[in-house]
Amino acid sequence: MTQFLTAERSGNLLSISLKNDWLFANLSQLQNELNSLPIADIEQVAFRCGGLKAFDLAGAWALYDKSLDLEEDGLKAEFIDFKAGHLKFLQHIIDVAAVNEYDPDFFKPVPRQLIKHQLEKIGSATLRGFEHFGDIAKAILNGVRKPSMLMVGETLRQVNETGAKAIPIVMVVSFLMGVVLAYQSAGQLQKFGVTIFVVDLVASSVLREIGVLLAAIMVSGRSGSAFAASIGTMKLNEEIDALQVMGLNPNQVLVAPRVLGLVIAMPFLTLFADVAGLAGGAFICVMVLDINLVQFYERVASSVVMMDLWVGLIKAPFFALLISATGTLRGMQVKGSAEELGRLTTTAVVQSIFLVIIADAFFTILFSRLGI
Amino acid sequence: MENPPTAIAQLNDISADGFEHVIRIRQLINRFGSQTVHENLNLNVRRDETLGVVGGSGTGKSVLLRSILGLHDFDEGSIDVLGEAIRYQRPGPCKQWGVLFQGGALISGLTVQENVELPIALHSDIPLDMRREIACLKIFMVGLTLQAASKYPNELSGGMRKRASLARALALDPKILFLDEPTAGLDPIAATEFDKLISYLQHNLDLTVVMVTHDVDSLFSICDRIAVLIDKGIVVDTPERLVEHPHAWIQSYFGDPRAVRARQAGSRHVQR
Repeated sequence: MTQFLTAERSGNLLSISLKNDWLFANLSQLQNELNSLPIADIEQVAFRCGGLKAFDLAGAWALYDKSLDLEEDGLKAEFIDFKAGHLKFLQHIIDVAAVNEYDPDFFKPVPRQLIKHQLEKIGSATLRGFEHFGDIAKAILNGVRKPSMLMVGETLRQVNETGAKAIPIVMVVSFLMGVVLAYQSAGQLQKFGVTIFVVDLVASSVLREIGVLLAAIMVSGRSGSAFAASIGTMKLNEEIDALQVMGLNPNQVLVAPRVLGLVIAMPFLTLFADVAGLAGGAFICVMVLDINLVQFYERVASSVVMMDLWVGLIKAPFFALLISATGTLRGMQVKGSAEELGRLTTTAVVQSIFLVIIADAFFTILFSRLGI
Repeated sequence: MENPPTAIAQLNDISADGFEHVIRIRQLINRFGSQTVHENLNLNVRRDETLGVVGGSGTGKSVLLRSILGLHDFDEGSIDVLGEAIRYQRPGPCKQWGVLFQGGALISGLTVQENVELPIALHSDIPLDMRREIACLKIFMVGLTLQAASKYPNELSGGMRKRASLARALALDPKILFLDEPTAGLDPIAATEFDKLISYLQHNLDLTVVMVTHDVDSLFSICDRIAVLIDKGIVVDTPERLVEHPHAWIQSYFGDPRAVRARQAGSRHVQR
């Protein structure tokens, strides 16, 4: 191991000869050697710098830092024999330190009042959420009053983007869910010899719950994130500011079409999900359970009432509203950094799924109280 | 002495003009489709000099800089920096160079002080409190305060962001500093301040500075030599001699009234 200094003691004077490369790469070792200097009973320390091979700012800093420590302990420190080319690094640090005070406590995190802080955050987030719903309502009402402000083209584009393009994936997932439901319930119902009830179970759960819920969850992942990311990027690029100074309300131009588009698209998506879910159930019935298609159809027709379909469909626009409002709000909240964009996009998806499930629970209780 | 390889290496290091070269570019060729940007370009950057790189748009200033930094896959030729051959997307002598990108390119999720700490943390085993102190020293060096150090990049003004980015470039005590349009987007006062800062640091820290710039004030006030990219090649000379160069583009560039004023003013605030 290379040595960077040798210390020699004469009376109460410690003279230290520096040697080799005092460079950034060796900083840890320099620090170690400086810290293990024998300074007991010493009054004066002289650093002899003539033997230095290479020197840079980090080396100078280590030396300067040590001299400050020594002076704090009441010792005198001096530098001698410096080459001019080396001294200027030290001088530079001394110059910089002369006008700036380093405070190690500055970066210590300030302890926060956790509970109060969290409550405050929840409160203001809730408030902001309601405000956003208000903004959306205002934008749509403005559109109703003055149809030229309703971005019909953009809304239709959003219907296509969030609805039509999501049909395949929603149908596939819903079909598979129908398969799973039928298969799982068959195992139980066969024990009682009432295999035919599989049809009832699949039909009513797909129409009332599974279809719309799956569609909402898929849309949250697809479109909720897309809303947050696209609006957030526009925010970072100052596009939102540009709209504002042109006298256009970003809620009118960006948020309302997305919300309206999804509210329109969602019931249709739900219908597709319902059909695919039933098809999945039928597939298992025909392939595994010896129930043929005619039986399946008749059983569905007799066990399910129109209201079951409506119970599912009526939830769709509400879910759409929650998803699109959350996505657009999170997008609007992006400011400053790319990191923020990622964080808020994640938040948008997680929160919209969470809200959808809460709303679903609420609807279930409401409908059961109403006896539907 | 019967040792030809060393003899040749030395010949390369201290070449005929008597200067040590920290960057050597040989026969560099860069093409984009059918368009050739650099054709057999040769350039030596001397130790401890400040080299300004200028050229009209499309002459490949950025491509040249990115080639040197290993960010651009150059077609042919060789580049070596501090004796290390540069390859596309391979780590070059990255502890020995610092780069100031045009927009600052500070990591937006980290504070200024964390940004400066980042290269130190990646390239050394220095403990946290010491790292912090070194980072702050660099931040002070570029003229920022502790208050600025604890801020996020988006909370800073353009000039402060440039300074913070410079502090990060200096974090590892590099030998070479690359600057891409350091004064672009700064007001004239901030730009002059920044020029002075670079010149001061260059002088005090024994830096070699390579600077792509359009700012004629910077060129004349702090550059030792200027490299002009023309006709797919390069012409390098001191500002005083380049003014006399017969090439039409150079004539029109330095004959421009702004350049003339800068040239007259430049000799005034050079502190060498």
